[in-house]
Amino acid sequence: MMRARQQIIPYLFLLPALLLLVVFNLMPTIATLFESMFVISLRSGERVFAGFANYNRIFNDPIFWKSFQVTVVFSLLVNPIQIALALGLAVLINQRVHAIGIFRSIYLLPIAVSLNVTAIVWGLMLDQNSGMINGILWQLGVERQPFLHSVDQALWSIILIASWIGVPLWSLFILAGLQNIPPPVLEAAKIDGANAWQSFTKITLPLLRRVLAFVLVADTVANFLMFAPILLLTSGGPQLSTNLIMYETYRRGFLYGDLGASAAMLSVMLVIVFIIVGIELYALRGQD
Amino acid sequence: MLSRKLMLVTMLLGIFAILLAPASAQDEPTTITWLTLGWPADYIIEEFEARNPDINVEAEQVGFNDLFAQIQVRLGAGSEVPDVISVDVPLVSGYALRNWLLPLDPVFTGDEVEDWLPAAVNAGSYEGTLYAAPVSTSTQLLFYNKACFDRAGLMAPGADDRLTWEEIAEIAPQMTFDDDGDGTPDVWGFIWEQMVRIYQLQALPESLGGSAIGEDGLTVDGVINSPEWIEAYTYYYNMFNVWNAAPQGEEFWPADIFETGNICMFVGGPWNIGRFANNADLDIEWGVSRHPYFADGVAATPTGSWHIGVNANTENVEAATRFVHFISTGEGAELWWRRPGGGDFPAQQSVLAMFATEEEFDELPMSYMRTAADEATVNPRPRAVTVGFLEYEQILQNTFQDIRNGADVEESLNLAVQRIESEMAKYR
Amino acid sequence: MANRATQTASAATQNSKPLRAHAQPIVLYALLILGVVIVIVPLMWAAAASFTPNHKVFEYAYPFSWRALFPVDFTLEAYDNLFDRGFGRAVGNTFFLAIATVIIGGAVNALAGFAFGRFEFRGKNALFLTIVMLTFMVPVDLTAIPRYILVNNFGWINTWQGLLVPGLANSLVIFLFRQFFAEIPQELIDAARVDGATWLRVLISIILPISKPVLVAAALLMFISQWNAFFWPLLIAPTKEMRVVQVEISLAIGQYGTVWNELLAGSMIAAIVPILLVIPFQRYYVQAITGTGLE
Repeated sequence: MMRARQQIIPYLFLLPALLLLVVFNLMPTIATLFESMFVISLRSGERVFAGFANYNRIFNDPIFWKSFQVTVVFSLLVNPIQIALALGLAVLINQRVHAIGIFRSIYLLPIAVSLNVTAIVWGLMLDQNSGMINGILWQLGVERQPFLHSVDQALWSIILIASWIGVPLWSLFILAGLQNIPPPVLEAAKIDGANAWQSFTKITLPLLRRVLAFVLVADTVANFLMFAPILLLTSGGPQLSTNLIMYETYRRGFLYGDLGASAAMLSVMLVIVFIIVGIELYALRGQD
Repeated sequence: MLSRKLMLVTMLLGIFAILLAPASAQDEPTTITWLTLGWPADYIIEEFEARNPDINVEAEQVGFNDLFAQIQVRLGAGSEVPDVISVDVPLVSGYALRNWLLPLDPVFTGDEVEDWLPAAVNAGSYEGTLYAAPVSTSTQLLFYNKACFDRAGLMAPGADDRLTWEEIAEIAPQMTFDDDGDGTPDVWGFIWEQMVRIYQLQALPESLGGSAIGEDGLTVDGVINSPEWIEAYTYYYNMFNVWNAAPQGEEFWPADIFETGNICMFVGGPWNIGRFANNADLDIEWGVSRHPYFADGVAATPTGSWHIGVNANTENVEAATRFVHFISTGEGAELWWRRPGGGDFPAQQSVLAMFATEEEFDELPMSYMRTAADEATVNPRPRAVTVGFLEYEQILQNTFQDIRNGADVEESLNLAVQRIESEMAKYR
Repeated sequence: MANRATQTASAATQNSKPLRAHAQPIVLYALLILGVVIVIVPLMWAAAASFTPNHKVFEYAYPFSWRALFPVDFTLEAYDNLFDRGFGRAVGNTFFLAIATVIIGGAVNALAGFAFGRFEFRGKNALFLTIVMLTFMVPVDLTAIPRYILVNNFGWINTWQGLLVPGLANSLVIFLFRQFFAEIPQELIDAARVDGATWLRVLISIILPISKPVLVAAALLMFISQWNAFFWPLLIAPTKEMRVVQVEISLAIGQYGTVWNELLAGSMIAAIVPILLVIPFQRYYVQAITGTGLE
């Protein structure tokens, strides 16, 4: 009697959330991925099953491969940069020095600012003609830089914008991990004669493995999915140098109405994200 | 599969709706929604509702960059709202092809159709059927700051003069000044108002005899990388990169900078006339002249603007068409042009006639509206008629932005050909 | 009774042992201040520019002068224009929606997190992986078309439920709750169960009171995600009466140019509300994450 009721209760508790997730998230996701197997006849509006025709189309499209390349370069740059800086920042704000609480509060500010607002403000700061960054460079006697309008600098500018939010956010998770390391562990290392760098690499980092694994996976996913700054600032330019696949997916689906190609790109992206996350989790799996 | 489920859900909900519907809804005014931009829409809505107490209009205003995705998602999903949609005119064929817009022929009398500028009617039609009623149209003029000409020791053109692009290339660098000596000008000689949009930049190759798109409305190879295009956009490239007479970087709105005296000349729309004329703080002696052209070419002017259409799936055909009729003809069209903040340019000949007859246009600077009304008849060249205009427009926008910021002209146009051809493939 | 969650929490703050006992404070403060400059300068410039007449927005940015960071040509023009256009209503709408999301969504997600964290039942891992983790990895904006069709079929266009309901269940928040609830000692629950409390009662009177950090963190997450929502509200409810903050801000980018000071003024209001919520609760954030066993 008791057992039977217990069997039902967890399902009852899950029901509202899972129902909502299935209806508003899972079903639309499946429907979108399904769409990649169809083409819509523009004239009659009829949906026709097309097998892998959409995939064939994007795989033969040089623009897709160019976006793919940009996405790979972006991911290889942005994720290590953000995690290294987040780790550094976490160590920094974990120091017990005077007024550290104020610093921690300030470092939390970017987390509260939306990505859209961040992109707009940084876009203006990086403006070639009247932006503040160029204003500061001018004071320093450095030549004006094109930033978002140069093939060489645009992707870096996007990385900067993404990191302004990303670094403080992920450092918060790492800070939590740092604070959970029992002090005696570090003290023991000191007694054994380890210097600060040794105790950081030999003791702190291994103890942070789980939190770093989480941050790496979550950061990878977040950066793969990001396209708002591209939409607001560069439209994929200059010369497709910031044309991330997620933006190309958005553009094909939501501007050009090419739902089949857009869905095919999204499916390819999801497979890639799953594979990369799988590799990351495997590489960082515990020895224990 | 999903759609069958959806139908079931819809049917169930429909039954609920019938059961729950209020017994008498006849006295309630019909509410229609109008998807449009962030301009002062309330003004025209109040005027319309005062004349049509049985209809409520709700404006759904979105930013310029968001409008196209809105239409794509909502109309593409077969939604019955919004009822009325503001449509950028070159998109009419694409929307009509997808059956998103209601044919409007029965809504207007022959006289009303004849009152519109013929180019506007054509642009709002697809395969001979009117899908989007003309509200406004546009043209472009050269606006200049007289002080710049004085400073450079040059003569400013008169309202009926038409400079050549070659002359602009000669005088623009002379009116570019680096007053603080930082190596970057503070006062720029020239810019195009919509500096990276095909709307305005198409006039360059067309002046040289180039076309906007192939005969079939889909082909761009050999068209947008033709010698005329390369020559035209080499001129454009030079303006930013060689003569350094126009600013690179972000897109911006030149009228703002013109008002502070930091731009000497720009090619822009007649909406600026009202703007500058009504700006009491404006401390600039300004004037207009005709749209420039290439010396070996012909004068060609941009045209086209916002039309208004009805969602093919609307449940309020009568109310929606009544609103569309109001804003696109006669009194309503004139009210729309006179909305606060000033309008673009009316597409109705009866409304355009007021520039010739009404006293307020007798004196400078509002008399420049007469120049504009006349300029609108000089070889107006509509944008490419293609079902894939949005793709075409957006990709060219990226291309012009690249060229403006120093990318090789021929390479950029060839990349644009590759990208547009790849998008057009789905229409073939 | 000893309460482990708060213990861990207070231990966490005491544990902030310096990495090196004699870290050079000058280098340390130099780094800290450098970081502050990077964080604060964009916000100060944006705030100052939002109180500046539109044509002077870039005046002191290039060439740069300290004036760029302070509203030296102070005007409320941008804020006046925004609020005349109905920005106040948008702030009210968004606030109402965000609070409703926190309350209803909080209940829904906490129940699910409780079930995943404290019960053994058939299909538990499968449900968690296929529904919760999968939906976490898919960008909601890019699956908006089928969601729009569905919500349109419900007749929810331009309704509060259309804005609210699709965002109530939140995979990340469910995950957060699950991790936190799983750590709570079994004895606490057993004691209450022996006294004959129902599971709902256990959740409400035993578990929630000791889960303050995770509740605050989850509430902030839900609040911020609803507060910053743009694409979905724009699709589902663009009428004036129902516009949300981010949609209202986007209107400053027009066909004929952008009203910079209004864009920035809107952005500042959009930023200040979550900031006011984040700062006082910052320690809960860290505690909640510490409590989830992620470390």
